[in-house]
Amino acid sequence: MATPFGSMSIGELQAGLAAKEFSAAEVARGTFERIEAADGVVHSFLETTEALALDAAARIDGAIAEGRLAEMGPLAGVPVGYKDNLNLTDTHTTCASNMLRDYVSPYTATCVERTLRAGALPIGKLNMDEFAFGGSTETSAFGPTRNPWDTERVPGGSSGGSAAAVAAGLVPVSLGSDTGGSIRQPGSFCGLVAVKPTYGVVSRYGVVAFGSSLDQVGPFARSVEDAALVLNAIAGRDALDCTSQPSDVDFTANLAEGVRGMKIGVVPAFLEAAGLAPEVRAKTQEAALALEKMGAELVEVELPHAQAAMSAYYVLGPCEAFSNLARFDSVRYGYCDPGHKDLGSQYEASRARGFGPEARRRIMLGSYLLSAGVYDTYYYPAQQVRTLITRDFAVAYESVDCILAPVAPRTAFKLGEIGDPTEMYLGDMFTISINIAGNGGMSVPVGLGADTGLPVGVQLIAPPFKDANMLRAAAALETVYGPAPVAPDYADGKVGA
Amino acid sequence: MKTLEEVFETWEAVIGLEIHAELTTLETKMFCGCKLEFGAAPNTHTCPVCLGLPGALPVPNRAAIESIVLAGLATNCDIEKHSMFYRKNYMYPDMAKNFQTTQGPIAFCMRGHLDLDVDGRGAAERYRLDALAPGERDGNITRTEDGYVAHVGITRIHMEEDAGKMVHLGGGEGRIAGATHSLVDYNRAGTPLIELVTEPDLRTPEEARLFMQKLRQIYLALRISDCSMEEGSLRCDGNVSLRRRGTTAFGTKTELKNMNSFKNLHDGLAYEICRQAEVLEEGGVIYQETRHWDPSAKRTIVMRVKETADDYRLFPEPDLAPYDLTDEFIEGVRAKLPELPDQKAARYAADFGLTSYDARHLVERRATADFFDECMALAATEADGGAFAKPLANLIINDVTAWLNAHEGEALVATPLSAARAVALVKLTVADVISSKQAKEVFAAIMDEDADPEAIVEARGMKQVSDTGAIEAVVDEVIAANPDEVARYRDGNDKLIGFFVGQCMKAMRGQGNPKIINELLAKKLR
Repeated sequence: MATPFGSMSIGELQAGLAAKEFSAAEVARGTFERIEAADGVVHSFLETTEALALDAAARIDGAIAEGRLAEMGPLAGVPVGYKDNLNLTDTHTTCASNMLRDYVSPYTATCVERTLRAGALPIGKLNMDEFAFGGSTETSAFGPTRNPWDTERVPGGSSGGSAAAVAAGLVPVSLGSDTGGSIRQPGSFCGLVAVKPTYGVVSRYGVVAFGSSLDQVGPFARSVEDAALVLNAIAGRDALDCTSQPSDVDFTANLAEGVRGMKIGVVPAFLEAAGLAPEVRAKTQEAALALEKMGAELVEVELPHAQAAMSAYYVLGPCEAFSNLARFDSVRYGYCDPGHKDLGSQYEASRARGFGPEARRRIMLGSYLLSAGVYDTYYYPAQQVRTLITRDFAVAYESVDCILAPVAPRTAFKLGEIGDPTEMYLGDMFTISINIAGNGGMSVPVGLGADTGLPVGVQLIAPPFKDANMLRAAAALETVYGPAPVAPDYADGKVGA
Repeated sequence: MKTLEEVFETWEAVIGLEIHAELTTLETKMFCGCKLEFGAAPNTHTCPVCLGLPGALPVPNRAAIESIVLAGLATNCDIEKHSMFYRKNYMYPDMAKNFQTTQGPIAFCMRGHLDLDVDGRGAAERYRLDALAPGERDGNITRTEDGYVAHVGITRIHMEEDAGKMVHLGGGEGRIAGATHSLVDYNRAGTPLIELVTEPDLRTPEEARLFMQKLRQIYLALRISDCSMEEGSLRCDGNVSLRRRGTTAFGTKTELKNMNSFKNLHDGLAYEICRQAEVLEEGGVIYQETRHWDPSAKRTIVMRVKETADDYRLFPEPDLAPYDLTDEFIEGVRAKLPELPDQKAARYAADFGLTSYDARHLVERRATADFFDECMALAATEADGGAFAKPLANLIINDVTAWLNAHEGEALVATPLSAARAVALVKLTVADVISSKQAKEVFAAIMDEDADPEAIVEARGMKQVSDTGAIEAVVDEVIAANPDEVARYRDGNDKLIGFFVGQCMKAMRGQGNPKIINELLAKKLR
């Protein structure tokens, strides 16, 4: 059986298109056929966008016929899936919530628009935890996504659909969003290259907000190069997001440089953290030694306030979410509970029924934390902690080019295994401080854990706007561990166990 | 209920104002590129940002920041270089995001003031004045020769966005009570709004009215808002409380809304002061509540009772970076400050010798001040241009203002009276070609016929007779024809001079130079 297009790299796809081994329309149609065949159990896609993809493919094929493929952009003919909190005109943007079950976007997010301008074929919208609240994609109102490596297990979250679709070889790349680890943790659970860029690298315009000061969009891919190519397409200043910054970096430029001469920080306290699974600790140490062996210098760094990141996050995140989700009030769009005679009861019933339990929990938490008398006790100190953590990282970066850390404390867990929300929150212990400080961070696959046999990722963390540093180190690790494989049951065109 | 004058015998009112101005002269909204336009079809000037669609983000309008800095500089505020936007969280359908983007504890403009010239003629104002000698100060007021100056503190001016507009159908007169449907027009949503908050430094409804008028003149001079109280682009809420004269503790305040004209502001506050006095004197208590001024019923009605302070869960807006204004930016804005009404009035007095009364009236409307400036620029080319100032001021303050008041909605610039015609008209009086009485007739003819004053004078044969010989002959005739009156006049009945002037004028068909007639009569009747 021919290799499915979704299992190819961007380079392979474009070489095939250039050599006219296949057309962009064939890529699009083949991708939808594969999703139809292989996504039933995994359930990564919530909506597929055949018409949009075929339109885009027709433009690519027209250009190929005229010998202008090179003009069509770095993602020409590449199938891309989008997390369902990214707006794309005329498609649903549900955020995996009953609140937005019927909501159709009248506009397109800048990051999505930029992939389209780079020639991407928009394949569809991907499942997620409701409004990105969660780490397992189990809180989706449309049912969970399953991990292609073991469909009894979660793909991680909140960008679980974005991770699973790439891990199952349905699409070569996808976009997710990361507020406290929502790209990196599913990247680790599904064994992918998954990048949360520095806050400000990618425009947030059109990304349904969870925590506005923490959210950042980034790619999932099976190779560092593919991730870098997507990043090149979506990065940069956007006049519609005044927190976005100019980016003149070619993220693919230094991937082949190796790590010789790089100083890579390791945080002893992270490796000693209670709750860190031995197989994850072992893999992290193994990756550190691999980098050292390739010529990097390992430097121990301290992040003394990192243990407070979790507390700060669960103050700041819910506060911003409470306010960001206030607009879902049943009046202009979204779920409206019928039959109410006054506004107050319509608001209450629509929001009580439209939002799932985790969304309600965060809204109530944020509402409480911002209320008079409470604000000074929580919100203000949390901002102070934020400043301290940002300073910790700044001090560390005086002596290192990037930092190596675990991503998640363990490999993918089973559906339903974690019922206690606070236990679920602890899964973000190594990723949250990066959002708090606004740094770039990424998950790089380093093979399978010795105990569970499931994918393990390590996290590379870069100073603000030095995302190229972590990509360079990640590319070096890739020379040791190889590019991320498609999950075995979905490799070579298989459609599951 | 007692009159305001009676209330003030016992009570002192403490008034603070919150004044919202929409920056209507800007092209676009505060946080998106939608056009600002009053009266467009509902929901035609909207986009994902001002509709609060999921994923939309605000981008601040730099011109709006310039406008608020202009307002701050013109009202003696400190401009805060570092300030932030905040989210004020509350749910209502006219606010699509269910939070209003506003400013936090530090606004762009802080700690300003305006000085009000109060004539002190009103009964309510006299209480402030009677105890003071000219030049003496008490609290925030300083007695002057013809009244007092009230120094009114401005707490802050902050930037925020307006909400959409609700329309309720099915109830009476568009009210929400009894309505079956409510519609929202988001054209207004996101309109840049600046809110000025005063210190509780005002003591009478008249002072409040003067403050509002002065602020309106300043905003108009700055060209940052059309300041239409009727259309709601300038809105005012008042906070009022009473305390016994001689005490310093504040009483419980009520917040007064719907004062959409200077008269309503004055009358609403006056009513509320009297109402509170009555409640207090009957042993009742004032509740902290929001009240609505009903101008037709001439009373205030409770809108809602505030048992506890509203909890708006204010926190810094994470989608907007903290604002850092540079010295260059602030100085650049300062360089754009136009001449303000007070400065203009002072200049008129100093350069043209106008009385402060005339000067203040000229600057009351930007259009009349601009027109006066234009006229004086033309008059400067005349040999005795300086002599034109007073008659020009009279023309504008009396005839032009009366005409504009009678022709509501007409702009001075669009009338037949060009500056050149005004100067030509005044030149005819200054040169004694026509009398001031004839000048009024010529003014009316200019407005009616759209003709030049010289042509009107020519066509109507209106030239004033200043030939002393001709006038003397008439004066002699009148004296000869009225021996009884001459005798009575000589017996000391001075008022009869008017009779003689009138007789002379009548004989000369209104064209005699009154100055010369008066002089000759005085001489010959002695």
